[in-house]
Amino acid sequence: MWGGAGVDANDRLDRAEAAKVLARAARLARGQRRTAGAAVGFVAMATATALVGPLFVRHGIDQGIRLNNRSALITAVGGYLFVAALGYLGSRRQYVLVNRAGEGFLRELRLRLFAHIQRQSLGFFDRNKAGVLVARMTADIESMSELVQWGLLQFVSAGILITAALAVLMVLSWQLTLVALAVLPIVVIASIRFQRSSNDAYLEVRERVGNNLSTIQEHLAGIRVIQASARTDEQRRRFKASNRALFDAHMTTVRVSTWYFGVVELAGVLATALAVLAGGWLVDRGSVSVGTVVAVVLLLASLFEPVQQLSQLYNTLQSATASLRKMFDILDTAPEIDEHHGSVDLPSTGALVVDNVQFSYPGSVQPALSDASLVIAAGERIALVGPTGAGKSTLAKLVARLYDPDEGSISMGGIDLRNATLASLRQRIVVVPQEGFLFNGTIADNLRLASPQSSDDDLLSALDRIGVRRHFTDLPDGLATEVRERGSRLSAGERQLVSLARAALVDPAILVLDEATSNLDPGTEAEVEAALERLMAGRTVVVVAHRLSTVRRADRIVVCDGGRLVEVGTHDELSALPGGRYAALAAAWESSRPTAPPLLGG
Amino acid sequence: MSDAAPERGSVRSLRDTDWSHLVSLLRDRRRGLSIGVALGLAWTLGKIAVPLLTQSAIDHSINGDGSVLAWSAAIAAAGVVTGSFTAARRHIAFRESRMVETLMRERIHDHVLGLHPAYHDHAQTGQLMSRMSADLNQVQMFVVMIPLTLSHVALILGVAVTLVVLDPWLAIVALAPLPFVNVTAKRFSNAIHPAVLAVQSEQAQLSAVVEESIAGVRVVKGFGAERVRMEALSTEADDIQKVSLRAAVIRARFLPLMELLPALGLIGVLGIGGLRVLDGAMTVGELVAFNFFVTLLVWPLRSIGMTVAFAQRAAAALERVHEVLSVDPAIVDPQHPQRLPAGASVGAVAFRSVRFGYGDGDAAVLDGFDLNIAAGESVALVGATGSGKSTIARLLLRFYDPEAGAIEIDGIDLRDLRVDDVRRAVGIVFEETLLFNDSVAANIAFASPSVDPDADRDAIVVAASLAGADDFIRSLPAGYDTVLGERGYSLSGGQRQRIAIARAVLADPRVLILDDATSAVDPSKEHEIRSALSTVMDGRTTIVIAHRPGTIAMADRVALIDGGQVADAGTHDELLARSARYREVLAALVPSNDVVVGGDR
Ligand SMILES: Nc1ncnc2c1ncn2[C@@H]1O[C@H](COP(=O)(O)OP(=O)(O)OP(=O)(O)O)[C@@H](O)[C@H]1O
Ligand SMILES: Nc1ncnc2c1ncn2[C@@H]1O[C@H](COP(=O)(O)OP(=O)(O)OP(=O)(O)O)[C@@H](O)[C@H]1O
Ligand SMILES: [Mg+2]
Repeated sequence: MWGGAGVDANDRLDRAEAAKVLARAARLARGQRRTAGAAVGFVAMATATALVGPLFVRHGIDQGIRLNNRSALITAVGGYLFVAALGYLGSRRQYVLVNRAGEGFLRELRLRLFAHIQRQSLGFFDRNKAGVLVARMTADIESMSELVQWGLLQFVSAGILITAALAVLMVLSWQLTLVALAVLPIVVIASIRFQRSSNDAYLEVRERVGNNLSTIQEHLAGIRVIQASARTDEQRRRFKASNRALFDAHMTTVRVSTWYFGVVELAGVLATALAVLAGGWLVDRGSVSVGTVVAVVLLLASLFEPVQQLSQLYNTLQSATASLRKMFDILDTAPEIDEHHGSVDLPSTGALVVDNVQFSYPGSVQPALSDASLVIAAGERIALVGPTGAGKSTLAKLVARLYDPDEGSISMGGIDLRNATLASLRQRIVVVPQEGFLFNGTIADNLRLASPQSSDDDLLSALDRIGVRRHFTDLPDGLATEVRERGSRLSAGERQLVSLARAALVDPAILVLDEATSNLDPGTEAEVEAALERLMAGRTVVVVAHRLSTVRRADRIVVCDGGRLVEVGTHDELSALPGGRYAALAAAWESSRPTAPPLLGG
Repeated sequence: MSDAAPERGSVRSLRDTDWSHLVSLLRDRRRGLSIGVALGLAWTLGKIAVPLLTQSAIDHSINGDGSVLAWSAAIAAAGVVTGSFTAARRHIAFRESRMVETLMRERIHDHVLGLHPAYHDHAQTGQLMSRMSADLNQVQMFVVMIPLTLSHVALILGVAVTLVVLDPWLAIVALAPLPFVNVTAKRFSNAIHPAVLAVQSEQAQLSAVVEESIAGVRVVKGFGAERVRMEALSTEADDIQKVSLRAAVIRARFLPLMELLPALGLIGVLGIGGLRVLDGAMTVGELVAFNFFVTLLVWPLRSIGMTVAFAQRAAAALERVHEVLSVDPAIVDPQHPQRLPAGASVGAVAFRSVRFGYGDGDAAVLDGFDLNIAAGESVALVGATGSGKSTIARLLLRFYDPEAGAIEIDGIDLRDLRVDDVRRAVGIVFEETLLFNDSVAANIAFASPSVDPDADRDAIVVAASLAGADDFIRSLPAGYDTVLGERGYSLSGGQRQRIAIARAVLADPRVLILDDATSAVDPSKEHEIRSALSTVMDGRTTIVIAHRPGTIAMADRVALIDGGQVADAGTHDELLARSARYREVLAALVPSNDVVVGGDR
């Protein structure tokens, strides 16, 4: 009846699994054991004082006032004051300790989750929306803070209160207690039903929180396209739909918990009614005194108060379990690209061998690359050319082990990349991606991305090496210029320059460039290419080329088409190939070239 | 002004917070909220009725008059009533608070979507996402407490009056701590505000780090920058922990005190009331009744303490939300918008002595920039990196307004046109291609409001064919219905760019801007696309920003951008002949071409 729409069957959390999720969370929280233990101690102390306080009132009235005993009254007042002060101190300490334990746990969770997300290969990011991943790291974790801040506290104090109340009740009159507790099955059944329907409902909420955030993220990332396309109103409508879907999911959880809390409250009052009823009967028969009935009824109230608190806690716990479950789903995704036991460092130099490689992107029909074999000598420069979608970028990504081949292998210096340590892999092989993505921070921060320990001088000399130092030092703040969101402070070309300088700083053996220079104007590009020329000396270079000048500077050219490496050779060899693909390509290039400028021709 | 003044200014409390956005929403939801308050009150009364009923039941019936069944039934009935009230109260409180949260999120989203690009140059996506999630969460948690708190306040007032009626002197003793609770609450609120603000701001910073690291994952992987990003994240995680502990310490200083104070009243009543009974000024029964009413105060007072704490977080969150909502959009429709003239020959563009810089002390990118483009003419902008070519495109889209001078389309200043009209008149293919998480067809129709991605398939296919995209789209798993991955990553660079070109082609704008639009397209295809584009460009005003000579040659005229102005303009050949700077900018390609030419010979 309250089953959430849209949560599919294998996404459900049955009780056994929910218990597993929580046990796992508890293991994660192990580091906080001592703090949490101390916190529990103080919570218990504060709770106990709250229990004892009213006893002093009773003592004051019964022993002091009724018996006209002034000193008993004063003892009661003094005792109460003392206990209240104790409670005050306990609860002061408990706030700090509970926070320390709870936030410690959340911090642990943040670090683990982020580290794990970062270990994932690109395929994972193709499958998961950025907004959803952000939601897991932020909204989901924050949604648990309520539980870790108050949950432990409530659980302990409610536990103590219930135990104490039950014990006293049984002593007072076990018959009356048992009769009153006849309502217990109602609470249990309600809790079980609540658990079932709320699991789905809360999972649904987490799901839609993620979707909603990813809509927001998409809209913010695409804000310029949206505005340029005069689409703001349409995108607002779409957001409204996803936002209202989230509201509906929230309302499902509200409906589910609403009846549950109602039933628990009703049960508490019913217990009182039962006790009065049975009490009347037992008093008639003379087996209990009126005073006992009064005491039992009063205690029942203090028994059901914490029971209601526990049901609140249960609700919070259900929501947290859904969050945890979503996070553990991520933690359980083994990274496709990983370091296994016994990995070795890549040699500082060596031939790059692509051996019979086949690769398809998950979910796509045709392989993006098949039967690819290629031997690239150390220090050789290879240009990849071919039509759009031919597999050039794919080969470049495989060479840098951003993906692993489905079949065949890629090795450097005789070591299969899959057997190499990731640290040495990223040190030896660097990819300059198509987009010069910049992070918030200064230009210097962005340059240091791959080698955080570099000094300012290192940065300047790297910029010098590619001949773009003045581009950046001429800025009013020089390398300390804040690049702002996504580097919006810089032009597209300048962003590319930063990207190239990053690579220069790492000093890798193998450089993979994917159209890195496509956004530079010819003047700047010449500058950069001249510097790269020096930088690339003695390095292996694989470049996805779209420019004849780049192709011409390569030692060998690899022509891709339809996921195959159809021609491999030098410019002259391939140009001479009758009916060759490269010959056709070069001809197309030629025709797009402007007529040779007369002034420079002479 | 004293030395303390600036500090006090930065430490803001509940009272200084701008609650207007919340209040206006609450006003809209006042019906539900008042029902919530009424239900809360009814529930509280029920809560009081149950013990009173029980007491009477015991007093009247257990002594054997046989009415025990009736009394028990009455108690059970009261249980049904309070149970239903609990349910209804919760339902309404949560519905209203979630609704307020939802509406507020829409308000922020809609507002931010309409803000000028200059704002977005500075605003971090992750930060804005945090405004719309974590911060609104705090607001929701506060709003949900409003009905119950209001009914608690009513209860406290009711009890206070009862106490005064019962015994004015003892009432003073019992209520004496209340002013202290009030003062403590105020001091607490002042002390915790900056701490809570800090917690939320740290959370938002963490969100920004996460968002960036994921959006830029290709760079992170390519450079092996996981460690650097991890460090950035753990700094933020540590910061959160630190400031949250600071907040907890403040809470520990005040909240237990606020719980202790009502208990002091209770103790005072016991002591002083007891003495009065002993002195014979009061009966035991009166004292017990009095005591019962004082106990009724304990929970509501405690919960008001909690509400103050929640209100504090909500205030901090609202302050941050307000920061976003109070930014006025800089690019807005004029009061009396003009219409672009219709006709056969439209699309004339004029830049008149335009000066523009990105602000905050940055040097002007364009200064005294003049350029006239006749209707139907195509112009290539050529210049070094950072010379301002893309800036010109952004100004024409009215992403920014010039500081001086004017930009006109068909003789009308952009500022006299509706913003949407400008953007429909000007179509652009950006340097970086961004695709949306939707079908290929919807992505192509993105800039064409009149084209339905499902119904008008033919028009979409024509546009795709012109952009050279039809072939590969048909080979996708679901053809034009294939849903593209987030940001369109599952296509190759060239494929993405062609979809963006198809998008601009379909939009059929008066002025088409191609900003480096064919850079990722391979040369063999570029040739094809170029001939397709020339069909599109035919008779349409086009601005081409390109680095490849072949693309430059597509344009009727070339404008050389240098020093923030048009340094020279003319045909490609004219400029080659007379402009040294133009040759300089183009020079780079020539030697390598020579080699090619030489090799061919
Ligand atoms: N992440 C991905 N998921 C699924 N399919 C992909 C992904 N990336 C690329 N493809 C597909 O794999 C094929 C090869 O793409 P690749 O990026 O290697 O082409 P390319 O030769 O680099 O093209 P371009 O010159 O346009 O950059 C294309 O058909 C593309 O649609
Ligand atoms: N959003 C921005 N905020 C501040 N400065 C900016 C912004 N965008 C660009 N700039 C600066 O304005 C200048 C011109 O940038 P623009 O993007 O117009 O150059 P461009 O000629 O298109 O370069 P490219 O050929 O590299 O694309 C650059 O110096 C750049 O640093
Ligand atoms: Mg590519």
